[in-house]
Amino acid sequence: MIYTYKSPALLIIGILMLAWGGLNQTGAVDGLQGWLHPSEYKAHVKDVKKHDEKVQAAMEQSAPAVKAMKASKFQTLKKKEINLSLLFGAISTLVGLIILSWKPKEGNLDYYIGILPGMMFILGIAFVVRWGLDPMFGKWGKLLEPTLGWNFAKIFNLNYVVIGIVIGMIMVNVVKIPAFAQHGIRTARFCLKTGVILLGTLYSAAELAQLGIISVAMIGFFVLGSVGAVLWFGPKINSPNSATGVLAAGVGVCGVSASVASAPVVQAKAVDIAYTIGTILIWGVLCMFLFPTVGHILGMGPVQFGSWAGTGILNSAQVAGAALAFDPKGIETLKVAEIFNITRVLFLPIVVLWLAAWYVKREEGAEKVNLGQVLVAKFPLFVIGFLIMFGLSTMGAFAPADQYKGKYFNSSEVKSEKLLKDEAIVALQAALPMVKSEKQTAAMHNLIANKKVMTRAEDGELRSVAKIEGLPEAATDALHDAHKAAWHTSKVILAFRDWIAWLFAYGLIGLGMQITVKSMKQAGGKPLIVGSVVGLVKAVGSLIIVLLFVKEFTF
Amino acid sequence: MGKELSFVRGTSLSIFVSDRFEDCGALVAALIISVGVMFFL
Repeated sequence: MIYTYKSPALLIIGILMLAWGGLNQTGAVDGLQGWLHPSEYKAHVKDVKKHDEKVQAAMEQSAPAVKAMKASKFQTLKKKEINLSLLFGAISTLVGLIILSWKPKEGNLDYYIGILPGMMFILGIAFVVRWGLDPMFGKWGKLLEPTLGWNFAKIFNLNYVVIGIVIGMIMVNVVKIPAFAQHGIRTARFCLKTGVILLGTLYSAAELAQLGIISVAMIGFFVLGSVGAVLWFGPKINSPNSATGVLAAGVGVCGVSASVASAPVVQAKAVDIAYTIGTILIWGVLCMFLFPTVGHILGMGPVQFGSWAGTGILNSAQVAGAALAFDPKGIETLKVAEIFNITRVLFLPIVVLWLAAWYVKREEGAEKVNLGQVLVAKFPLFVIGFLIMFGLSTMGAFAPADQYKGKYFNSSEVKSEKLLKDEAIVALQAALPMVKSEKQTAAMHNLIANKKVMTRAEDGELRSVAKIEGLPEAATDALHDAHKAAWHTSKVILAFRDWIAWLFAYGLIGLGMQITVKSMKQAGGKPLIVGSVVGLVKAVGSLIIVLLFVKEFTF
Repeated sequence: MGKELSFVRGTSLSIFVSDRFEDCGALVAALIISVGVMFFL
């Protein structure tokens, strides 16, 4: 089979990306960028004006030259867009030209060149969504808030994740995926898996242990509970044993993959799997859009929402979609939800064994299946990849272990120009009598003596001091400056977070392109009834448990 | 033995569908990204 599809599409995508990079580089679209990112642009204009004034003053007084302006947030944002547009634009243009001039022959080269137009097609949509539609909807949501009384973009989670998935779904169901992009769309799941593996770099051992305990308890209860519920309810409404078995795994563990994994042990027919997949898809897609809205209305935090989505949503891909839709700017909710997802997968062997025993008991003369072989063949190896990355990260292979959150405390890294000035010290000394606690007083004395915060514990005490009512503004500012100076950003961890966000954005847009109405329509029969009842009980039950017992925590 | 539904690589909606080639590829890609991040920063 020849995968390369002769079309100028990739070349056009490449030229468009290069054009966007070029226009940004020359500043020709600064107006548009300023409209999309008003606060960053305003701060940037202010910084430039301040810097220009300094330069002017230095020139007039023949003082030494002023240092170059530090890149503003707006410039950093633009630089990222320029780099990515130019890099992928160049690759697309080059391969686009090759496609037009090359006579493909069957083989690996043809396969990899053949998937590139589809990959760049998804990436192009991801660029438009993340850089254009996401800030645009955010802006419109804020603009209409006074009229509507509520922020529609926030309530409907119109961020890059949801918009990307919706665009993908519209494209596959209404517009149809262009022929040149068909093969590349298959890479969506690969990118999601790469994202999950990379996510392993962002956990601390303590965090993983605490999340692991909660997830094992919750997943254990809900996985085994929903498997048991389906196995009890199915026969009550005369659902065939094979269909009940395959649905039990799908509803209980992690959706489609669990259904496929358990199919051989319950001797499922293709129609059983089709019904189950349809049921899981309908529930997954519904939950993906509903859960984040409910989460925001209930004021849930990352730990609570991640736990709920990771337990209550039936299919893994939709768990990731809901977690990112709920918290698109950070990775915290996704981190929690994925731990629950991975824990679910680890329950798969137990469920497969349970189903095998259940099926053999109910079906006389059932063929014997090599359980060991099924378990080995169906175990998702990339979960081990996640653990390898976690291990490497914990050993400090990428960044010191205490930097895994992106922001970290380090007193010795405070630059000399960031040490507190004399006026700030005077303000702090004046505020000392207002501090009542012994620990806080000690922290204040240490800060005054060293002109910087010395330990993380003292930083916590000083944050409390800053909240004392009636504290003079100069003292509050000094405490704020000292806190800011002692906290640093790990560039490596931020780069990982950025990569993960892009991989998930790409993967979810590609997955949106695979959610067809046709596949959802195949839901039906008894599995739809059983799956809907158990799915609803699981979603509501896990919400209640999370609200009652899971509390937010930070490390 | 029931007929197992076959899946074309990458077309199922679950991330956790087992595919050895894809899983190993994802691990290699993650390692390449990690080394790249370390190298460039």
